[in-house]
Amino acid sequence: MDKRADAEMSSRQVDERTAVLHIGGEVDLYNTPQLKEEIVNLIDGGVRRLVVDLSDARYLDSTALGVLIGGLKRLRERNGELRLASPQPRILKVLEITRLLKVFEVCDSVQQALVGWDAQGASGR
Amino acid sequence: MTTATAARVELKIPSRPEFISVARLAVAAVANRMGFDFDDIEDLKVATGEALANAIQHAQLSGRESDEYIVVVCALEAQALVIEVRDSGAGFDPERRRQELEEKEELGEGGMGLLLIEALMDEVDFKTKPGKGTSVRMTKRLSGS
Repeated sequence: MDKRADAEMSSRQVDERTAVLHIGGEVDLYNTPQLKEEIVNLIDGGVRRLVVDLSDARYLDSTALGVLIGGLKRLRERNGELRLASPQPRILKVLEITRLLKVFEVCDSVQQALVGWDAQGASGR
Repeated sequence: MTTATAARVELKIPSRPEFISVARLAVAAVANRMGFDFDDIEDLKVATGEALANAIQHAQLSGRESDEYIVVVCALEAQALVIEVRDSGAGFDPERRRQELEEKEELGEGGMGLLLIEALMDEVDFKTKPGKGTSVRMTKRLSGS
């Protein structure tokens, strides 16, 4: 059992310092290393403004949430920011229970998440 | 399914991350058969996934991941599904863990997992002793019962 077919991850660069990471399916302890690698690679490649598109994510466990928190911390250390976009109600419930709605900025859409970075200090310094 | 005789479904899986989804799906299938609604089935899947992730991470910490097994028992009661996840890992002190969580503003992964289990299930009972493994017994009642 080495296929990680439960989750699908892909990223697209919006500009030099901005990217959207799309997560689909179910992310748990099994595929969080893949999620971490995606985020670390984007940050190492110069991304400082990262939108995580959760519109197709059906399930994130606490280890996946831990990886997202790690990405947020890593970006903030570099004057960057990570935002979550369009989580499904189930994911919102998990974010609420784990008190992460106070930690992450959650936007209704990727488009909305891509607006207003400069005012938030993620200006690519 | 409202039979008077309780049924049991047992699943024994290797203590490895790739088998978590197998157990989640099995629990969802059992809950669906019992008549749980979509939201409750999702709650059961999340809680089961978190209990298994905790167990596997404990086994990983003790370096025993590859040769350990985890037992997932579903007890189908008349008005409730009781899921027990048993491992033979390092164990922990749940009361101390709970106090640590309450003192922390920001939760670690393990803390978030326990918080999710307790929030999503109707009853949760941890039995654990350092060095003796952990058993998490989680009860979800059928809506309206």
